[in-house]
Amino acid sequence: MNTVELNKIRKSYDEFVAVDDLSLVIRPGEVYGLLGPNGAGKTSTLRMMIGITIPDSGVVSMFGEPLRRSHMQQLGYLPEERGLYKKMKLLDQLVFLGQLKGLSSHDAAQRSMQWCERLGLKEWTGKKVEELSKGMQQKAQFIGAVIHDPQFVVMDEPFSALDPSSAVVLKDAFLDLKKAGKTLLFSTHQMNTAERLCDSICLINHGRAILEGDLGKVRAGYGKRNVQIKYEGGSQFLHDAKLVQSFNDYGNYVEVRLAPQADPQELLRAATACARLTRFELMEPSLEEIFLEAVGKANA
Amino acid sequence: MRNTSLMNTWIIIKREYLERVRQRSFLVLTLLLPAIMVGAFLIPAKLSSMKSDKTQRLVVVTSTSQFGEIVRQQLMTGTKADGEKPAADNNKDADSADKPSRNYAIEVDANATEAERTALRNRATAGDIDGYLWLSDDAVAVRKVNYYGRESSGFMEKSWLSDQLDHAILLQELSQRGVAGAQAEALLKPVKLETVRLEAGRETKSDDKGMFYAIFAMVMLLYTAVIFYGVSVMRAVLEEKNSRVMEVMLSSATSTELMAGKLIGVGAVGLTQIGIWIVMAAVYAFPALAASVSVGEIRIPPLTLAAFALFFVLGYLLFSTVYAAIGAVITSEQEGQQLQFIIILPLIISVFMMGPVMRAPDSQVAVWTSMVPFFSPVLMYLRIAVQPPPAWQIALSLFLLVATIAGLLILCARIYRIGILMYGKRPTLPEIIKWLKYA
Repeated sequence: MNTVELNKIRKSYDEFVAVDDLSLVIRPGEVYGLLGPNGAGKTSTLRMMIGITIPDSGVVSMFGEPLRRSHMQQLGYLPEERGLYKKMKLLDQLVFLGQLKGLSSHDAAQRSMQWCERLGLKEWTGKKVEELSKGMQQKAQFIGAVIHDPQFVVMDEPFSALDPSSAVVLKDAFLDLKKAGKTLLFSTHQMNTAERLCDSICLINHGRAILEGDLGKVRAGYGKRNVQIKYEGGSQFLHDAKLVQSFNDYGNYVEVRLAPQADPQELLRAATACARLTRFELMEPSLEEIFLEAVGKANA
Repeated sequence: MRNTSLMNTWIIIKREYLERVRQRSFLVLTLLLPAIMVGAFLIPAKLSSMKSDKTQRLVVVTSTSQFGEIVRQQLMTGTKADGEKPAADNNKDADSADKPSRNYAIEVDANATEAERTALRNRATAGDIDGYLWLSDDAVAVRKVNYYGRESSGFMEKSWLSDQLDHAILLQELSQRGVAGAQAEALLKPVKLETVRLEAGRETKSDDKGMFYAIFAMVMLLYTAVIFYGVSVMRAVLEEKNSRVMEVMLSSATSTELMAGKLIGVGAVGLTQIGIWIVMAAVYAFPALAASVSVGEIRIPPLTLAAFALFFVLGYLLFSTVYAAIGAVITSEQEGQQLQFIIILPLIISVFMMGPVMRAPDSQVAVWTSMVPFFSPVLMYLRIAVQPPPAWQIALSLFLLVATIAGLLILCARIYRIGILMYGKRPTLPEIIKWLKYA
C-alpha cells in the first residue's frame, strides 16, 4: 500500500497551469524529494497532496484510499515560510497545533516539552514566537508538524534559509523520523541536499513531472557517461567534439560529459597523449546534471 | 468517533478568545474606554461649575426705577418668581441645564440718557462693571433690547436672559393693567409636561432626557463595537494570511472551521468586554455620571437590555462575516480601509436615520428601514428602546436579519476559502464572483 499516489492531478489559476497532469507514487518509509526550480509547481503539488487545495482534475490517494478529512491527523505539514502566530507563546502555540491534530492538551504539552528539550528550545517555551530567531522558529515549526507523531510528514523547502548548525539539528531529527519508519516528503531546489537524503525523487518543471522514481534507477538510466579527470599539461583533448560533449572545470578537476557513442578508452588515450593524468574516473551523473539536461530537453 | 469539526472549531474559538483576553491591550482598553467616557461627561460639568464663583456685575438701565426693580428681582431669583420653591430637585430638570451657573450683582439705573450710556461704557471698559442691559421704554416697546458686555454671553445664558426679560416685561405690563403680585405670578405660571411611559399595561414615569442619553449611548456602543470587533476579525484574517499561519491551519482544519472559530471567538471577546462595562457602569460609573449631569434616574427596561444583547450579537455576526471575507481578499490593511466602506456606509446611514426614527418610531420610514438587514441592528433596536413596535415587525426584522446572515456566511465562506490562499495581487470583482460560483 503506497503512502501517496497522485494520478494525473491538474491545477490551474486562470490561464496559468501550475500543475499539469502530474502523477507520482510515494512508498511507505522512504524519503521522497520533490525537485524543481522556483515556480515549477512544487508548492501547488504539495498543497493538493495534503488537501489544502483541491485539484481541478485527477485523484489524490493516501494510504490506499482517496484523500479524506481523517487523513489530516496522520500527516504533518511544514510550510515553506514560517507560519506561526507571532504573538503567541511557543508552548501554547505547539499545544494548540497538537490539539488540532487530535491530541489532548495534556499529551500535547508533554510532547511539546520533550521536543523542545531535544531541539534546544527548552528555555524558550514561555517566550513569544516573535522573540525567537529564524532558526528557532523553523525548529518550532518542525515540532508543530511532527508533534502528533504522523505517519507521513510533508516539508516544503525545510532546509533553505537556515544557518548550518540549525540545518544539522533539523536534518538529524529528520533522519530519526526515517529510522522510525515514517514516510517523508520534502521539496527543494537544492540538488545536492536531495542527492544526499532521498530514496526517490520527482523532478518537475512547468508543472510537469520530467523524471520520477528511485534515485538510483534514475541515475543508472543516464548511464556512466561522465568522467572526472585530474591532469597537468595540455588540455586539447577536452575540445575534441567527437569525444567530449561538454565539460565543466571545477579547478581541482574537470568533469567531462562524453559525446554520444564515444568510448571512454578513446578519451583516456587522447588525454594521456597531451597531459599527465593523476585521476581518471567514470562516474554516474550528478542530480544537478540530470536536472539540467532533463530541463533542457523538456524546454527544447 | 468524536466530531472533529466541532472539536476543531472549539479549539480555535478557545485560542482566539484566550489570546485576546490575555493581551495587555484588552485590559487597557476595557479600563480606559469607560474612563474616557466618564471624563468626557465629568470634565465639562466640573469646568462649568468652576465658573460660578465669579460674580457678574450688571447694570440694568430702565426709564423707571420700578421696572428696573422688577428686572433685578427676576434676574436675581431666576425662576423663583414662578412661585415655586427654589428647593433643589423641583425645578432642576426644567432649568438647571439652561440657567447660567454664575452669580449676579445687579445695580438699577433709572437714568436712560445718552450721557449715562457713555458713562456706563467707560465703566465697563475700566472693568468696574461687566456689562449693562439697555431697557429704555422705547426699546421695550418694540421688544428689542441690547446687552452690552465685555464678554459675549454664551448661547445658554442668552436664551435664559431673554426668557427672564420676557417674564419681567409681562409682569410690568400686567401691573400697569392693575394685576400685580401673586395674581400676576399665577397668570404667568408655565405648564410643566410630564410624560408617562406605558409598559405592559403599567405606568412608569419616564425621564425623557435620561432615556435619550441611555438609548443614544447604547446605540453608539452597538455601532462602535460592531466596527471595532469586525475590524479585529479582518486584521486577524489578514495577519494569518500574511504570516502564512493559514497554511498550517488548513493542514489541520477546514476553512469553515477557521472562519466560524474566528467569528465566535472574537465575538465572545466583545461580549466579555461589554459585559465588564455594564457591570462597571452598574457598580460605579453610572451613579457618578447620573449625579454629575443630573439626568435623574435612568431606568433601562429589561426588554431593551435583552434587545441590545440580541442585536449586538446579530449585528456583529452580519458585519464581521463581511469583514472576514474582506480580510481574506485583501493583502494589506490599506486595501482593507478602502473596502471597509461597504460596511461603514450602511452603519452611517443607520446613525443618520436615528433622529427621524426616534421622533416618529411608527412612521412608514421607520418601519421599513428597520426591516432592512444592514440597518436593523441599529434601527430596530432603537425602535424597541423608544417605543416597542408590534411583535410581527420585530419578528419579520429578525427573520430577515438571520436569513441574511446565513446567506452571507455561505457566500463569505467561499470567498474566504479561496482568498486565504491567494497572495500578491488583490482579486478584482469579476474574479471574486467566479470564486462564488466555484465551490
